[in-house]
Amino acid sequence: MSFAFDLYVDRSSWLHRLDPRTKLAFVVLSSILLLNYSHLSVSAAFLLGIHGILWSGKVPASRVRWAWQRMWPITFLILFLWPIFYPQGNEVLLQVWRVRITTQSLLQGLSTALRVDALAFAFLVLLFSTDQARLVRGLVKLGLPYEWGLTLAIALRYLPTLYGIYTTVSEAQQARGWVIGKGGFIQRIKSYLPIMVAVIVTALRLADNLSMALAARGFQSGAKRTYLRELKLGLADKVCLPLFAVSLIVSVIVRFRHSLGVP
Amino acid sequence: MIVENLHYAYPPLTPGGEPLPVLKGVNLRVRRGEFLALMGPTGAGKTTLCLTLNGILPHLMGGTFEGRVVVAGMDTRDHGPGEMSHKVGLVFQDPESQLFNMTVEDEVAFGLESLGLSPSEMEERVAWALEVVRLPGLRKRSPFQLSGGQKKRLAIATVLAMRPQVLVLDEPVTGLDPLGRHEVLAVIEKLKREEEATVVMVEQDAEAVMAWADRVVIMERGRLVLEGSPRQVFSQVESLHGWGLAVPQMSELAHLFNRRQGTSFHFITEDEACSALAGELQSETCTGPRRSKQYPIPNILYPVSFEHSSAVKVEDLWHRYDDGPLALAGVNLSVEAGDFLAIIGQNGSGKTTLVKHFNGLLRPTRGRVLVLGQDTAGQSVGQLARKVGYLFQNPDHQIFAPTVWEELAFGPRNLGFSEGEVAARTTEALALFGLRDQADTPPAILGYGLRRHVTLAAVWAMRPHILVLDEPTVGLDWRATRTLMEEVTNLNSQGHTIILVTHDMKLVAEFARKVLVLDEGRTLAYGPTRQLFQQEALLRQAFLAPPPITALARRMRLVLSPSTLLRINSAEGPYGLRGDSLTVEEFYQEYTALRRLGQGG
Repeated sequence: MSFAFDLYVDRSSWLHRLDPRTKLAFVVLSSILLLNYSHLSVSAAFLLGIHGILWSGKVPASRVRWAWQRMWPITFLILFLWPIFYPQGNEVLLQVWRVRITTQSLLQGLSTALRVDALAFAFLVLLFSTDQARLVRGLVKLGLPYEWGLTLAIALRYLPTLYGIYTTVSEAQQARGWVIGKGGFIQRIKSYLPIMVAVIVTALRLADNLSMALAARGFQSGAKRTYLRELKLGLADKVCLPLFAVSLIVSVIVRFRHSLGVP
Repeated sequence: MIVENLHYAYPPLTPGGEPLPVLKGVNLRVRRGEFLALMGPTGAGKTTLCLTLNGILPHLMGGTFEGRVVVAGMDTRDHGPGEMSHKVGLVFQDPESQLFNMTVEDEVAFGLESLGLSPSEMEERVAWALEVVRLPGLRKRSPFQLSGGQKKRLAIATVLAMRPQVLVLDEPVTGLDPLGRHEVLAVIEKLKREEEATVVMVEQDAEAVMAWADRVVIMERGRLVLEGSPRQVFSQVESLHGWGLAVPQMSELAHLFNRRQGTSFHFITEDEACSALAGELQSETCTGPRRSKQYPIPNILYPVSFEHSSAVKVEDLWHRYDDGPLALAGVNLSVEAGDFLAIIGQNGSGKTTLVKHFNGLLRPTRGRVLVLGQDTAGQSVGQLARKVGYLFQNPDHQIFAPTVWEELAFGPRNLGFSEGEVAARTTEALALFGLRDQADTPPAILGYGLRRHVTLAAVWAMRPHILVLDEPTVGLDWRATRTLMEEVTNLNSQGHTIILVTHDMKLVAEFARKVLVLDEGRTLAYGPTRQLFQQEALLRQAFLAPPPITALARRMRLVLSPSTLLRINSAEGPYGLRGDSLTVEEFYQEYTALRRLGQGG
């Protein structure tokens, strides 16, 4: 259950110790690279590299498998639909009625699918190895107002709680003979009323208590705060960040001056 | 801390409505280092009073505020909760909504960060606070993953770290399992003993209050109506019961003797009761070593039987949650039709997992469950709802309808009854549970006790043969608990099979005929209540203990000198003190019968 809300796996590795800001920079860099380079080999190499990073960062294989299971449907859809809707080139592999499948469009589909996967994994590197608290702290450090960061953190923290309330409420109503909606759209929506009312009332009560709890702990909006754990750039960060900058510049030059990396 | 002539009314719920007065002239002084317990029925204004102590009221919610609250020289009218939080640490009742950080460490540090302390100072205080509440080593854990008792202790640590002069605890042990209670109470004791903290604790549980408090204050309808030492306060048994409050069982016993025998006992602890009563029997005092070894209690446990008339039959039931640990590991159980079974055990022992199999909310991983002779496999939750009614712990998890009438009609309607039948059942349920006057009221605005009744009535309206009650009395005061249990007993005498999941051993002793003790998904014991509560060693294994009165009865038997026992036994009685009383009344009857025998011989 908690799996779906928090992807973080607690391990001790260089990847985990990396400053969240560095990993955020990595996500940004990866996105720029992947959006600029559409060649199949770039996406494939990138994916391979990311798996290497995940492996050396001690992210368990079960998490990676889980991610791939989530990615399969979309990967497959792109692979399947791309050649049908974007027929290019002349090497016809297969023709059914008016649908032509060409080698070129198939390759293009594959590279697009891999690009989407690679983009997703760039984000997953961050999410698998950064606990939510550090992530939010990283964002605040980058200039997000503290109140926003706190709100984000609280929202993330209470997702499992709300899900738990939803489960309990729906069980309580099922025990009274309630069945998940049948019939038309409106009918179905209406049938969820007994659950939604109870969930919302409980959530409102929670929110009310939460605001009092914040006040009781001396929280004042806009007041100056100190932090128990200041984020500090470590050696690894100091190596990574310049490296990122250089790769970004090089990649842009290579891409636009020499038009490399596109099919 | 001084509270002077405090009046407070919440702002009206609807624009143009009437303000809701809660506090009506409260005067209170708390000395430094004092441990004050605040008791009162639900709706008395206890929580509201707590909220005024650190300025949350009126600063956060408005309302009408008269009188003054001064803590360590700071008046809450001039200082908001932000500043008052240095002086008053408030721990709320619901742990879920006050633990909003993603790690335990951040949770404790949050208040300190608000104070603007330096990281090294914070580090020191976080370590200290976690040490006091016995949670070091869990710093990186998410508060969400902690057990109930751990959450409450963490909540205490979060305000403790801010080094307030007064600690206000709103029902710190309500809703916890016995182990969690024990952990939290141990922390509170440590605070009192080692840290000399000034504590104001709201608590329903008279036994806990008696054990810890220097002074008890009773609050009723927004006023303080009685105060004094626990001994003074708990001697007012009739007044306390009149206000709907529980008293420690020993006080209840003393009161019973005083009222019926004209004695003037004033014991409030088990030791005192034992000495006083043993003295009456001209026996030795209770100070000597307990002779438990001399009178071993035979280990009688019921064999698991499989009668035909069973309401619920569980055969070798195993359950494993997805990706989770084993929750049930081979449970066998047969509940006779018309029986009253209590299921006890710590949280995580599998109680709720077990009973959720009875109405199909969970399905066996292995083994099978028969309800009224039919295998639950192949029956939907909806079908099982006709046979098994399930009352959830929190009434707010099932209340949704605009009126009480609609709420009660929901179940029967789901079962597909005609509108005429639905109306008939609803009307009858309203009458049976005394809810006629509330038929058109929105259930959500009723008091907690009434909301509980509405949910029980709603389940009853479906006329299930079996009623599963999952911790139904959590959050109810003594009177509401009595009313609810009387209704349940009524249903039981009409032939309904009752299955009660609870942590309240007094309820188990008084109402249940059989008890199932679960421990880590296995049956630790199953048998008649009377025998089971004699198995102290066995109960201890599951961190449970019989209620004080049963413990006293057992101890009395053990401390009576052999000569006294002989004298009693040589009289007509077939045996001496049986030592297995389950209620105060039972103990009283047995003891007076014994004394008559003793005096006659």
